[in-house]
Amino acid sequence: MADNIWYFVMVPMVYLAVAWCAVGIALRITEVLKAPKLPRTLRIFPEGKGPDDPPVSSLVGAVWDAFTMPSLKRYKPLLWFFLITFHIALFLLVLAHLDLLPQINIMSAESEHMIGNGAVGVVFTVCLLYFLFRRFVGPVREVSVPADYLTLLLLLSIAITGDMISWGNSWSENGFVMTKKDFGAYLDSLIKFTFADPRQFLTGSHLAIAGTHVLLANLFLLVLPFSKIMHVFFAVPLNKLRRG
Amino acid sequence: MEDSEKKQLLGLLAEKLNQSVRMYMDNCTRCGACIEACHAYASTGDTRYTAVARAQNIRRLYEKYHSFTGKTAPWLNEAVELDERWMEKVYETAFTCTGCRRCMTYCPFGIDTQQIQVIAKMMLIGADMEPRPLSMKAKGSIAKGEKLEATREKFVKELEKIKPDVIEKWPGKVGDDVIPLDVKGADVLFVSMAEKPSIVPAAAILNAAGENWSLSYFEAVNFGAFLGSPKMTQQIYERIVSEAERLGVKEMVICECGTAYRIMKHVIGKRDFNVITFMQLIDRYLKQGRIKLDKSKIKGRITYHDPCQIARNGGIYEEPRNCLKAMTDDFVEMTPNRQSNWCCGGGGGLVIAAEPEFRLMTSRVKAEQIKATGAKILATACEMCFAQLKDLNDEYELELKVTMVSDLVANALVQ
Repeated sequence: MADNIWYFVMVPMVYLAVAWCAVGIALRITEVLKAPKLPRTLRIFPEGKGPDDPPVSSLVGAVWDAFTMPSLKRYKPLLWFFLITFHIALFLLVLAHLDLLPQINIMSAESEHMIGNGAVGVVFTVCLLYFLFRRFVGPVREVSVPADYLTLLLLLSIAITGDMISWGNSWSENGFVMTKKDFGAYLDSLIKFTFADPRQFLTGSHLAIAGTHVLLANLFLLVLPFSKIMHVFFAVPLNKLRRG
Repeated sequence: MEDSEKKQLLGLLAEKLNQSVRMYMDNCTRCGACIEACHAYASTGDTRYTAVARAQNIRRLYEKYHSFTGKTAPWLNEAVELDERWMEKVYETAFTCTGCRRCMTYCPFGIDTQQIQVIAKMMLIGADMEPRPLSMKAKGSIAKGEKLEATREKFVKELEKIKPDVIEKWPGKVGDDVIPLDVKGADVLFVSMAEKPSIVPAAAILNAAGENWSLSYFEAVNFGAFLGSPKMTQQIYERIVSEAERLGVKEMVICECGTAYRIMKHVIGKRDFNVITFMQLIDRYLKQGRIKLDKSKIKGRITYHDPCQIARNGGIYEEPRNCLKAMTDDFVEMTPNRQSNWCCGGGGGLVIAAEPEFRLMTSRVKAEQIKATGAKILATACEMCFAQLKDLNDEYELELKVTMVSDLVANALVQ
């Protein structure tokens, strides 16, 4: 029974979650695109420019604003520091997961570790803890809603199980239980739709942790289109509205 | 709440869900970056008066009626049903937002709280809960446009009364056209404030510059915009636009009224005339040498309050400063200033709609900012800011002279 559950979580459910997420994102973006445009500017006028000066490279500016968050840097430097660190860590983690595939070898195929040797995941986790704890104090607590906490808790759970894979995985007497190559074989079977049993590649008691990590990631993909994480797609267009 | 009323109010909400509003509704992560941006929160510490909390009053309705999670798991985002209790909550905060958009400069996504509060205000109008002074003034403006022939004679008579004051400020032009009306092909159509004495400094400056100008019959201020009613906003601005088009003017110059400028510059769409503020025109006259100012007229240090609607929301930062610096060597900036300046707390029609105790209490931070400059004269370029700053001056015993930039310029005119 347990074997069947792990198989469902780590194979068919991954496909269902990815498909659900992709369709959900497409629908949400379509919903916005179908709405009428406001026929006037929502621009905030920068200093040093006249009222009739056109916005200079507003798309480039919006991309800059979305990725570097200059307003936060100015007004909330501590939050900015954690957000920037978090997003860089997230980028590296996405890259590290892609690097597990045998076709990509940023880290050597023989490496036991993912990119970052587990440190990136810890940084990611610390940032999430900061985001979560700041929601328990001060005025931010008053404006937070259950979804804000639950989204962070879900991400934190994914991060902690990921950390356990990276760190706990190596704490056996014989060294690494599962290596980059093992995870790569599992991911390779997923992208090739072989429907192979993941236990062929991921052996031992650590399968439960890897399986839990995948289960939580699946849940994340299922809720993503209906969560505030959709800002991934809207941060640039939103900043473009401000840039003019 | 009856079903028909509920349906009507939800219809108003749905009507305003354009691309930008949908993105504003869906993407706020409630990170709290905007909390300290609002002068009302900074002055009182009351979280209800933060951009995010105000927006939540509408966002929670949006969640309930326009989002998947709101329909399936309303507790997740605290989605709420529309009822009388909720409309009371919306009323509590909608008209506490001056629409200054300072919060937009704090938000990492640039969410425009003013756009969200327009929905709140429209729903309050729909529920017959809007502040009465604003709706009465808006209706009055529209009626004036509809009965122009009946009010024209009275308007001309009132102008006759202030002509001697204009001539006193600028004796270089006398006769019937001291305050010209209905000048076809005028280079400038000047749109003044509602109060007739406010025309005096403008007329003196325009005459001193030898401008070919015409005074609009209509006041610039747009109470429909303060109210949050797009329909009334359009009815009010269309009166002035029609007049400008009938006369075939080259430029429409808006008096020191921030909202009026923003409406005329950004809302009316492309027209055959250009729209500028009076500050830009005076600055142009100074640069062209068409007017000269006496630097000895101003006694004491002077500071300038950037009105949100012409500065952050209009791009007019340097022109008023140029005007002031042409009259004094003792100019001092407020901190922060320009794009980051604190709102005076009277914008968005709050000078008319809000209880004085409220708008003075929520502007403590502004009073402290002004006091820190050590200035003796406080100039601004918006009539709403002017009224609010005068009240602040009295309430917080700042002992300043509060004035409009154009007043100072008119008093400093020399041949």
